[in-house]
Amino acid sequence: MDTNRRGFLGAMGRVTIGAAASMAGAGQSAQAATDKPHIPHWGMVVDLRKCIGCQACTVACIMENDVPEDSFRTHVSVYEVLKEGGDPAMVMLPRLCNHCDDPPCVPVCPVEATFKLETGEVVVDNTKCVGCAYCVQACPYDARFINHETQTADKCTFCFHRTSAGLLPACVETCVGGARNFGDLDDPESEVSRMLRENEVSVLRPEMHTNPNVYYIGLDAVLDGRVAGEAAYRPPLTTEPQAHGLGAEPQPQGEDA
Amino acid sequence: MQIHELVGAVHEAAWLPWAVQYFFLIALSATALLMALPGLALGRVAALPRARLALMVAVTTGITAPIALLADLHQPGRFWEFFLYTNSSSWMAWGAWFVPSYVGLIVAFAWAVHRPGLYALGQESWRFNWLFRWLSLGGASNGFVRPLGIAAGAAALLVLIYTGAEVYVVRARPLWNTPFLPLQFAATGFVGALGLMLVLERVLCREPALEARLNRALALALGVVAVLGAAWFALALSGLSPRHSEALASVAGFPVWQKIALWGAVSVAVPFVLALVSPSRTGWVTGLIAIHAAWMFRWTVFMGGQAVPKVGSGLYDALLPAGLDGLMGVIGTFGLWLFLLIAYTTFIPWTEASAPADGAVPARPATSH
Repeated sequence: MDTNRRGFLGAMGRVTIGAAASMAGAGQSAQAATDKPHIPHWGMVVDLRKCIGCQACTVACIMENDVPEDSFRTHVSVYEVLKEGGDPAMVMLPRLCNHCDDPPCVPVCPVEATFKLETGEVVVDNTKCVGCAYCVQACPYDARFINHETQTADKCTFCFHRTSAGLLPACVETCVGGARNFGDLDDPESEVSRMLRENEVSVLRPEMHTNPNVYYIGLDAVLDGRVAGEAAYRPPLTTEPQAHGLGAEPQPQGEDA
Repeated sequence: MQIHELVGAVHEAAWLPWAVQYFFLIALSATALLMALPGLALGRVAALPRARLALMVAVTTGITAPIALLADLHQPGRFWEFFLYTNSSSWMAWGAWFVPSYVGLIVAFAWAVHRPGLYALGQESWRFNWLFRWLSLGGASNGFVRPLGIAAGAAALLVLIYTGAEVYVVRARPLWNTPFLPLQFAATGFVGALGLMLVLERVLCREPALEARLNRALALALGVVAVLGAAWFALALSGLSPRHSEALASVAGFPVWQKIALWGAVSVAVPFVLALVSPSRTGWVTGLIAIHAAWMFRWTVFMGGQAVPKVGSGLYDALLPAGLDGLMGVIGTFGLWLFLLIAYTTFIPWTEASAPADGAVPARPATSH
């Protein structure tokens, strides 16, 4: 499977060559069929240098998965970061379920409605989910929510219905800058494996030891956990943080937004 | 370094005020049941007046609590799946077995304790004697009070353990993931239960001696809460416990949380001083503040805790919505409890409840059937 939309378009031209090659390799294929089939381990590599924060992935996900209003399976957080002596920089951070290899959401589910597929995706059987929201609490990435149309837990599935049909997840398919890359982490020849080999990558909240399968290239450590600083949303009855976490300046208590 | 979040998602609380109601009521019930055992299961006569009120609190809140829990499920009609697909790694799955067992046992224990009284009412010549004959199942024997009480006490301990552990194991929420939390739930449960017993004592008994005893017990429970709170802060500030330090750091910078901490300290200190200085005249005030303190602790932990973003900046809303999922739910739960209290005090001869003599002989002459 191609890793992003550009790769997919580029591969179109190679289809006829590939067809001829597959004929030539038919004998080998017959031999390989007797071996245990390779099971992919899906993962995503997000190249933050290419993300422009357009939210096309956010919209594509909502349209593809019928995500209800006020909820997101994925979205792009946008921050203005001002480092000492530097200019303000806009930093984009696409967020989604990390499809962890040690997902904290799975063991807490009282009815085994959420589980990890052989191919790595963490999914929810919403015909079984009782909507207790324990998994929502347990997820360290705020990647789960209660879908108020189904009244069950909801989350990113890496677009399982699309990948099962040989397609890319909708967010990857639509990513304008090619920042989102999807593929088989167990295939050393895959684009995502190559990116992991050739780049310095990091994950969100490494201190939780969840072994995420979403990797980031170019992630600033100040953004990999709970992000300190001024929030975009200021609820009623609360005021600005006075000294919360790294880099927060003491703030006067201003008017609520 | 300065960071301004320009675009971020707000995550609503997934556990609703129903959860606050459940954890409040079940803690009151379990702790009250434990306080009922010395007088009603272990035969300590001096503890009987307190035990009668404690059993009343345990039964009425114990029946109300699971209904609030059911309402917190977004798919309440699927509750039976808890028993069909028990996931042994989930504390909630264990709780699904503990809670019905506990409720069944406290109802059975209360019935056994009151059976002689119910039977006596069934023997009198009056309009509803048939009802009490039916309620007593035609007999007055209650030698099984002690084993039922011990079993209910064990179930109460399991409930206290699971409710604490269920919240404590959530590593994603630093405010919940502190080893002290289960102990704080239990200690504030005693505070709330004693507060409710004090209020009921003022309404139903008006005995200064009992009021004073309850107030002294409340002062002890508040003292434990204060010690736990002080130890929590000491561990967090000293850095001896990284989990406590992380929990404190997650909220310490926000003025609203500083006010909550102050509010909590005052809610513990004021009834503590009043209960010690004037134990026999302050039951109403200390009782109501104690109930408030136990409820506010849970509101702060659950709704306040969910208002702390896991990855985003700032805080989310922790306000009480007006609809069924908020204020109406809270009022409705207390309404149900009030109904059960009226039914309990109307139909059950609770003032005569006592432990069977020697744990095996019925308190009143039994008629064999």
